[in-house]
Amino acid sequence: MSKMWVIIKREYAQVVKKKSFIVGIILTPLFMVGITVLPAMLASKKADDTQKIAVIDMDNKKVGEKFAESLTRYTLDNGLPAYEVTDIYYIDPNDTAKLTEQRAVLDSLVRAKQLKSYLIINHKAEVNDSIVLVAKSFGFRTNSRFEKRLSDVLSGIRLDKSDVNLEVDSILKLTRRIDLMQQAPGGRERDFLTMYLGGIVFVMIIFMTIIGYGQVLMRSIIEEKNSRIIEVMISSVSPFQLMAGKIIGLGLANLTQVGIWIVIGIGIYNFRGSLDISADVSAILFNPVFLSFFLIYLVIGYIMYSTLFALIGSIVNTDKEAQNFIFPITMSLILPVMVAMYIIQEPDSLITVTLSMIPIFTPTMMILRMNFIGVETFSFANPIILEATIGVAITILSTLLIIWLTSKIFRIGILMYGKRPTLPEIIKWMRYN
Amino acid sequence: MDEYLRLENICKSYETKKAVDDLSLSVPQGCIYGIIGPNGAGKTTTIRMIMNIIVPDSGNIFIKGAGVTKDFRNRVGYLPEERGLYKKMTLEEIIRFLAEIKGFPVRKIVESMDSWLEKMSLLDYKGKKVEELSKGMQQKLQFITTLIHQPELIILDELFSGLDPLNIELIKNILLEEKRRGTTILFSTHVMEQAEKLCDYICMINNGRKVLDGRLAEVKSKFGTNSIQINMEGDAGFIREFSGVKKVTEFPNYIELKLSSDADSRAILKEVADRMTIRRFEIMEPSLYDIFINVAGVKPAELDREGKADV
Repeated sequence: MSKMWVIIKREYAQVVKKKSFIVGIILTPLFMVGITVLPAMLASKKADDTQKIAVIDMDNKKVGEKFAESLTRYTLDNGLPAYEVTDIYYIDPNDTAKLTEQRAVLDSLVRAKQLKSYLIINHKAEVNDSIVLVAKSFGFRTNSRFEKRLSDVLSGIRLDKSDVNLEVDSILKLTRRIDLMQQAPGGRERDFLTMYLGGIVFVMIIFMTIIGYGQVLMRSIIEEKNSRIIEVMISSVSPFQLMAGKIIGLGLANLTQVGIWIVIGIGIYNFRGSLDISADVSAILFNPVFLSFFLIYLVIGYIMYSTLFALIGSIVNTDKEAQNFIFPITMSLILPVMVAMYIIQEPDSLITVTLSMIPIFTPTMMILRMNFIGVETFSFANPIILEATIGVAITILSTLLIIWLTSKIFRIGILMYGKRPTLPEIIKWMRYN
Repeated sequence: MDEYLRLENICKSYETKKAVDDLSLSVPQGCIYGIIGPNGAGKTTTIRMIMNIIVPDSGNIFIKGAGVTKDFRNRVGYLPEERGLYKKMTLEEIIRFLAEIKGFPVRKIVESMDSWLEKMSLLDYKGKKVEELSKGMQQKLQFITTLIHQPELIILDELFSGLDPLNIELIKNILLEEKRRGTTILFSTHVMEQAEKLCDYICMINNGRKVLDGRLAEVKSKFGTNSIQINMEGDAGFIREFSGVKKVTEFPNYIELKLSSDADSRAILKEVADRMTIRRFEIMEPSLYDIFINVAGVKPAELDREGKADV
């Protein structure tokens, strides 16, 4: 045990002391944020300030006023109204000169960011559905709100003009459309994009750290074989102590890295200041059930896959030879990301559940599913918690099996230089006592 | 002298080739023991089996009369044939690391590190990385890592390979020092002249089989060809008439006499010295190389058998 500890210390120090470790800690999240979180955050970003809007109304049927009134239902987190209609300009539909002039004025206001956007309600808008929104950029959420509210207003006008024997308001009440709120169990707001990308981030952490540290492990074994120091090592410690020491040492370095990320993540969240981070991020970061499962799966997944990397390192002689073996490992780790779009729609389907119970897919699949389905408390009443717990057991058992088989091959493979062994030879090694 | 290490009927085969075939040997405590043989004779395989890196197909290995236990690892220093160290570690780190995995206390490592580095003229490089050292320096560093934990048994595979003459001298002296402390030293080499200068005991192996073994002096006298070289002035034709001289070969500067086994070399010296000035008179010992060729090489039946086995 004390010998293994010496090896653990060395492996840990060799990684943590390197500049690339620090660089990785900083660059990897930047990279991941760049490709995943940032678009998600932008997409779900709520405005901090009331958006100022102007309306050019060429119909004089009070569309502008009714629209302005309907917008009052939207408020920001801080209680301020989300939208404010600053001015409504009534322009005669035939007076194109005035329209051009007014548009020029408003355009410059939009460019100067004094206005977020302005609407042009064309003549007979209720007939030809002709309304234009002018803005520098268009938000997904605002667009859908404006569409619904304007549709309602125009429906009202159409109803007014028709021969319906009912109060227009009561018809509108019957037919009005709603803004669908998406919430996770427990009442936290979720939306599709952040759910998808949030899940991917955690799978990416597992994927990148396992591939990263697995390859470090594999290379260091190949290097030990090539430099022949392996013989000195094996004359001092048992092959199993060597393999386990390396896996644990690098694993601790891996955990250090992920730990630093989690601390930084929570830190950023707490001191975010003006940064607007969606409620999903906090739901994930501060959910101890999910985080515990994540760390458990990270650790078992790491041990399972790095044992496979150790196996590869012990039977090949060069990095190049190793590449053929790495490919299937990479594929099995990245599979959940590739099928994520399906899983998010069918997180409980038979195919999804079956896939997530195959040990090599379990860590990443379960994390993805838990993220999509949502876990609030640790209760087996929630099927995903039960499945994830069974998944942990399955993964631990198969990891033990992989370690057992690998240790048999490892101790012979590390002393075989030159020719790469064939599969029958490897099977023969496993039979040695 | 007590026996330290004993191999009994060790066999090891790879695929179709017998690497080590029924090898038995006995290494006395506190001696320098050389395993000698050409490349591919089975020296490295034998050493790896002693180190428990590979397991013999059959046969037994004993340390001080008992089977090999796990903590034997801690009491042995092993220098493999192909040298290598972690290139990115500093000298200090790697010496410490390799001694620590031998279970040697950190306090003792720190105590003895500087004197070892000093002895090998590597003290100035203590904080440098291994990759910054020259090949020769790396060899000396690896030698330190083999010895620093004060092993009872030192095993050196192809000890002299890659060493320059100066370092060979340095390492020989250190080994003799270790021997004086009672350490048992086992090494292998195919360079017989070097072995001759260092060993107390030898074991010659060829094609995985023992050719002969024993105390060096005894081996030499046993296989002595009983020849004398004389360097002198004048015509030495009369020497042919001496009793016991079987054959005389004349060279430009000296003559070589082959004597019969009952010949008295002292009488010959006296006789020659009476008649002429002698510049040199040397009783020639056979070199290990000669013995090896004599015993192993010139055995057509043996070679033939191995030749077939190789196919």
